Amino acid sequence: MIPIEYFLALSGILFVIGVIGVLSKRNAIVVLMSIEIMLNAANINFVAFSAYYGNLNGAVFALVSIAIAAAEVAIGLAIIMNLYKTRDTISLDEINLLRW
Amino acid sequence: MAFAEYAWLIPIFPLIAFVVIGFLGNRLFKKWEGGAPVAIGMTAISLILSLVVAFEALTTGDGTPFVQSIEWLVVQSGDFAFTFNMGIYIDNLTALMLIVVSFVATLVVIYSLGYMHEEGEKKRRYYAIISLFISVMLGLVLASNFLQMFIFWELVGLCSYLLIGFWNTRPSAASAAKKAFLVTRIGDIMFMIGLFVLFVGFQGNLDFEYIFANVDAFIGGNDLLTFGTLMIFGGAVGKSAQFPLHDWLPDAMEGPTTVSALIHAATMVKAGVYLVARSYPVMVDTPTTLLVVACIGGFTALFAATMALNNTNIKRVLAYSTISQLGYMFLALGAGGYIYTQTLEPNVGYTAGMFHLMNHAFFKALLFLSAGAVIHAVHTEDMRLMGGLSKKLKITSLVMLIGCISIAGIPPFSGFWSKDLILEAVFEGISVSPVFAVLYAFGLATAFLTAFYMFRLWFMTFSGEPRDQHTYEHAHESPAVMWVPLALLAALAFGSGFAFLFGFEASIVPHGVFEFDHVASAGDLLVAMFTNVLTYASIIVALAGIGLAYLMYKKKSIDPARFTSGTVGKTISNVLLARYGFTKAYDWIGLKVVYGVAKVADFIDRRIIDGIINAISAGLIRAGGFLRRAQTGLVQAYAVVVVAGVSLIVILLFLVGGI
Repeated sequence: MIPIEYFLALSGILFVIGVIGVLSKRNAIVVLMSIEIMLNAANINFVAFSAYYGNLNGAVFALVSIAIAAAEVAIGLAIIMNLYKTRDTISLDEINLLRW
Repeated sequence: MAFAEYAWLIPIFPLIAFVVIGFLGNRLFKKWEGGAPVAIGMTAISLILSLVVAFEALTTGDGTPFVQSIEWLVVQSGDFAFTFNMGIYIDNLTALMLIVVSFVATLVVIYSLGYMHEEGEKKRRYYAIISLFISVMLGLVLASNFLQMFIFWELVGLCSYLLIGFWNTRPSAASAAKKAFLVTRIGDIMFMIGLFVLFVGFQGNLDFEYIFANVDAFIGGNDLLTFGTLMIFGGAVGKSAQFPLHDWLPDAMEGPTTVSALIHAATMVKAGVYLVARSYPVMVDTPTTLLVVACIGGFTALFAATMALNNTNIKRVLAYSTISQLGYMFLALGAGGYIYTQTLEPNVGYTAGMFHLMNHAFFKALLFLSAGAVIHAVHTEDMRLMGGLSKKLKITSLVMLIGCISIAGIPPFSGFWSKDLILEAVFEGISVSPVFAVLYAFGLATAFLTAFYMFRLWFMTFSGEPRDQHTYEHAHESPAVMWVPLALLAALAFGSGFAFLFGFEASIVPHGVFEFDHVASAGDLLVAMFTNVLTYASIIVALAGIGLAYLMYKKKSIDPARFTSGTVGKTISNVLLARYGFTKAYDWIGLKVVYGVAKVADFIDRRIIDGIINAISAGLIRAGGFLRRAQTGLVQAYAVVVVAGVSLIVILLFLVGGI
């Protein structure tokens, strides 16, 4: 059996990659993808602990989380589409209307 | 006390009239003389009730007042508790005031029907406010505690303000109304201070019944009580237009003459006298206050009479005369009370003051309403444009002559009895204090001046040749609705003095302070009066005054111009016309002192208080302007902060939390 630390390390690495993507990329679609990576890092944690404790709650929660992620992507893409229609750009640097 | 139970209804009826006239539209009352029938009807009901209640109080009572009250305001907080009551307090003094107020009010409202006929839609406002005035004046008279009295006191002041400014498009009327309101306000503030003193001293109980029975229970010492009663007298000074707050009353003549007759001669200005008479049981504990009352009254009597000497406005002369006569009343009250505190012997001062109040209400209302009839006929108030009017205004000239004789003090007209009684009371005081010798001289001089200026007024208005042909030709006798009230008042101005012979002295005494052991019969009183040399002194000075006026203005054997031709005469005459500079002084105080203080207060308010607030807000705005830079609008910048914050929390948990 693979020790749980490996899963946690993988999840941690994925999460950090996602965070860096969210913070540094300009393209809104890339940011959305990075958020998906972060979510999947969390899902790996759920499944890993579920297997570790022999309790299916975690696995079920991971499924729920995947469903939510799908919905979120749909909404996120719709927002980005509208953004592109109205402002002709999806670069997050240029989308700063809600400031002082 | 069967009828007294319903005494609370007396002020209610005019109040109903006020509500009905005031809040229902012009259209409804267009045909109805602006609601006059409602006002007359309701006032008449009040009059009947007042007469019944007063008759009952005067005939059946043994001097103990009838009191009925409800709790109005209950304050309780720990040990500190007090209750304000609303109620009625009926004794002989109240009964006297009820008769005077409701009787004169009814006649004046009836008279208004003729006098105000040409005012159009404004009439509705007039009748509404005058109904309100009658209501609150009766309420003031019936009040059962000082606070309730104060409330009505302010309300009559309000009505006075509204009615002086009745012709509100005239700048002079508007400013006269403001002057009356503000000057009496000075007195009202003093009254309020006096109430605070009594409130503290009597531990929160302002009921007349309690205070009069427990004057000794005052905590704070006699000096504080003296201060309190002085302040209460200060309120009376403002309301009754005594020196030095007298100057609003002549200006108040800008209102309709009916208002001058009712409010500024017969009722409201008597509220001050009534207040002093009402507070008598407290005041006899403070002789200083009573001496001040007597001195201010005596001085004002003479002081105001001098200003009436050369004024040519018929209403102004009557206004000065009112101030002067009110001074007489204060003189009598103060002198009687002070003498009592020194000798502890009952005396007639109080009775004389209240007697004069009653007589004055009748003859002064008569004089004002007659003057109103003259003004109605000739449309001017300037006596220099009148003259010879007795041929045209036969009834008016006759009733006004009765009023003049009465106020001059010729027996057996009513003014004679009370004025003589006042002078007698003051004369008694000479043995107590030499001050009263001066005050007696003032009183006697005032009697002379009063007789002179009243007959000067009468001769200038009614006798001789018409000085202005145009006004003379247009003059016409007033309608019956005006001269019938005049005739009724004339009958009273002639006859109300006889009340003295029929037990007035026994009824109107300060119960709880002293009573007369035995009351003389009418015959004894007459004998006592006409064997007294003082009586003849006052009659002689009155006759001298009338004689001088006759020589100067009727026979013209003494030219009035002789008194104003020389430098001295001219100066005196100008000083009198300028009202001793009091108008200027008021303006100066208003403009320089009050406005200066206001400017300083304005500076403090705007620059210092507002400045602090503005500085705080400006600082906050600047800080906000600095901090808002944090909101860049870039979603990734926020994400950085969130991630950094979460990381920081996790690191801290590791370091401190011991996970």
